[in-house]
Amino acid sequence: MSHTEPVGNAAGVGRGLAEKVLIIGLDCAAPRFIFGPDAFELPNTQALMRQGCWGLLESCHPPITVPAWASMFSGRDPGELGVYGFRNRKDYSYDAMFTANGAAIKVSRVWDTLSRKGRKTGVLGVPQTYPVKAVNGWLASGFLAPNTDAQFTYPKEFGQELIGALGEYILDVRDFRTDDKDRLRRDIFAFMHNRFDAAEHLLSNKPWDFFVMVEMAMDRLHHGFWKYCDPEHPKYEPGNRYEDVFRAFYEAADARIGRLLEHADRDTLVMVVSDHGAKAMHGGFCINQWLINEGYLVLTETPDGPKRFEDCQVDWSRTRAWSSGGYYARVFLNVEGREPEGIVPASAYEDLRTELIERIEGLAGPDDAPLGNRAHRPSDLYREVQGAAPDLIVYFGDLHWRSVGMVGFDSVYTFENDTGPDDANHDYHGVFIMSGPGVESRSELNGLQLMDIAPTVLAAMGVDRPQGMGGKVIA
Amino acid sequence: MDSAIIIQVTGAQARDTAYVLVKRLIERGRKAELLGPEAAALLGGAQGLNLTASVLARNGVFPVAAEADAALEGDVLECAVEADDTPDFAAEKILEALAEEGLISSEAPAYSEEEEAEIQRRLADLGYIE
Repeated sequence: MSHTEPVGNAAGVGRGLAEKVLIIGLDCAAPRFIFGPDAFELPNTQALMRQGCWGLLESCHPPITVPAWASMFSGRDPGELGVYGFRNRKDYSYDAMFTANGAAIKVSRVWDTLSRKGRKTGVLGVPQTYPVKAVNGWLASGFLAPNTDAQFTYPKEFGQELIGALGEYILDVRDFRTDDKDRLRRDIFAFMHNRFDAAEHLLSNKPWDFFVMVEMAMDRLHHGFWKYCDPEHPKYEPGNRYEDVFRAFYEAADARIGRLLEHADRDTLVMVVSDHGAKAMHGGFCINQWLINEGYLVLTETPDGPKRFEDCQVDWSRTRAWSSGGYYARVFLNVEGREPEGIVPASAYEDLRTELIERIEGLAGPDDAPLGNRAHRPSDLYREVQGAAPDLIVYFGDLHWRSVGMVGFDSVYTFENDTGPDDANHDYHGVFIMSGPGVESRSELNGLQLMDIAPTVLAAMGVDRPQGMGGKVIA
Repeated sequence: MDSAIIIQVTGAQARDTAYVLVKRLIERGRKAELLGPEAAALLGGAQGLNLTASVLARNGVFPVAAEADAALEGDVLECAVEADDTPDFAAEKILEALAEEGLISSEAPAYSEEEEAEIQRRLADLGYIE
C-alpha cells in the first residue's frame, strides 16, 4: 500500500470536518483486551467503536515507546527520525550514546503544526516531549523528564498549576522491578488516575482545539503483571491473587475515558490509540553470549558469571559484531573505516550481514523447535536511515523473547531476568479506535499503521500536512 | 563573531512579541536590540532605521523591529504574528526559525550528569535498556 492511499472502507474522516480532535493514547494497550477475543467490558471505549471505526494499528520497527509515539505524531518512521530506541549511538565510536528525549526529534509533530496554525493545543504525558518546546497552548511532558523540579511543562507556570491542582504530577512508577506486587498495583493505578486527573484539569480549564494525552501506566501494568493474568504465560498460576488486575485496570481506565469524553462534543473527532501491543514473555535470548560462542565477538577475559556487556573489555581487533539488549536486539558490525578499530572490510559487510540474518533466523529454542526470530536490515524497514543506525534490528521468538545483552551465561537462553521481574514483551500491533464527525459507524478497518495518525488528524482539522510527512489519511 | 539577521515583527501584538524575542535572545547569550517606533523617530525615520539595523546585524546583534512604518531592507526575516498567538509563543516560533537557519543554536537543554544517570536507571528499571 502506498503512503498516500486512503485506507479502510466507508469509515474515516472528512477533510476539515472536525472542529476539535481529542486523542487518548494508552501506551501498550493490547487489542485482545479491548476488541479481541479476551475483551473486557469497557462501555465507553466500546461505544466509541460502535459509533465509529476501529482496527489493529501496526506499530513501527522497533515496536517500542521510543520511537513509536514520535513516529505516530510526526508521520515519520524511526529511520527518518534517526531514533531506533531509547539509547542510540551518537556516532560510530564504541561507547558514545545519547538518550532519545524530545531534543532528538527534529521534525514537527502534529501539535507543532497545529500550533503554527493558531490552534490551541494541549499535550500531556507524550513520550519524547522533554525538554519541553513551546506550543500554542499547554504541554506537560512525561517519564523522560528527570523530575518535576525541572521545567517539565510549557509554559513553566503550568507545572505549578498542575501540581497545585493535583497534589503531584506523577512522571512514572518508581521501583518498578519489584516482587512487592501489592505496592506496584497500587502505584500503577495511582499513576493512571493522576494522568487522567491532569487531563481533566487541562480540558476543563484551558481552551483547546487539539488535545492528546498518553497514559503510561498500562505499559507498566503489562510488564509487571502479565504472568498473573494470561493463561498462556508459562508461569501463569490459576487462581492467583492478581488474576483480575488487568480487568480491573482496563475497566478503571475505561471509566476515566468516559469522563474525558464529556469534553468532546459532536464536532470533536476522538481517537483511542496505542503505540504497540503486548504479549507474554517466555524468556530471554543472550545475543552477545551467542555472538561470543559463534566467534563473532571476542572479549579479553571470560566473565566468571553474568556481567553487563558495557563492563567487559572487548577485543575489537578480533570482533566482527556485538549487540545491545532490551525488548529487541540491535546488532552492530565492526566495520573497517567506520568503527575506530573496525575489521570487517566494506566488501564483506553485506555478506556478513546476510550470514547473521540467516543464522539468527534459523536459531532453535531450548526445545529445539524454531524460535521464530526475525532480523531486519534498517534499509528494508525505513524510507530513510538517519544517524548511526544498527546494522540489524532483531526480534526473538516472534517477540515472545527479549534480547539479553549481558554475557557470562552457560546457555544462550535464560528464563530469569537479572534486572528484576518482567513478564511481558511488546507486540507488533496496537489499538486504533476513532469516532466523530464524518466517521461512519460500526466498521473495522485493516491496514492501519502508526504514521497514519498524524495526517489523519491534520486532514480532519483541514490543515495541510508538512512536507515529508508520511502515512495515509484514514478516509 | 556570531551571525545575525534583521528581524521585522508585524501583526497582532508585534511589539510585545518583539520585546519577548529580544529577552529570549539575550537569555540565550546573543545580543539583540529592540527597534520600536520611538527608535525609528530618534533615528530620523526609515532610512536611519535601515542603516542602524544593517550595522547591528553585521556586528552580530539581532535588530528586532516592531511597528515599523515600512518594510526594512536587506537580509530581513519577516515575522507576522498570528492573531491567536500569544507573544510568548510567537517569539518561540521565531526562535525556532532562527535555529533552523543556523543563526542560533537549538535550545535543547541536556540532562545534567545526575539527571542522565537517573534517566538511565529508570529506563533500565523499566526494561527498555540494560
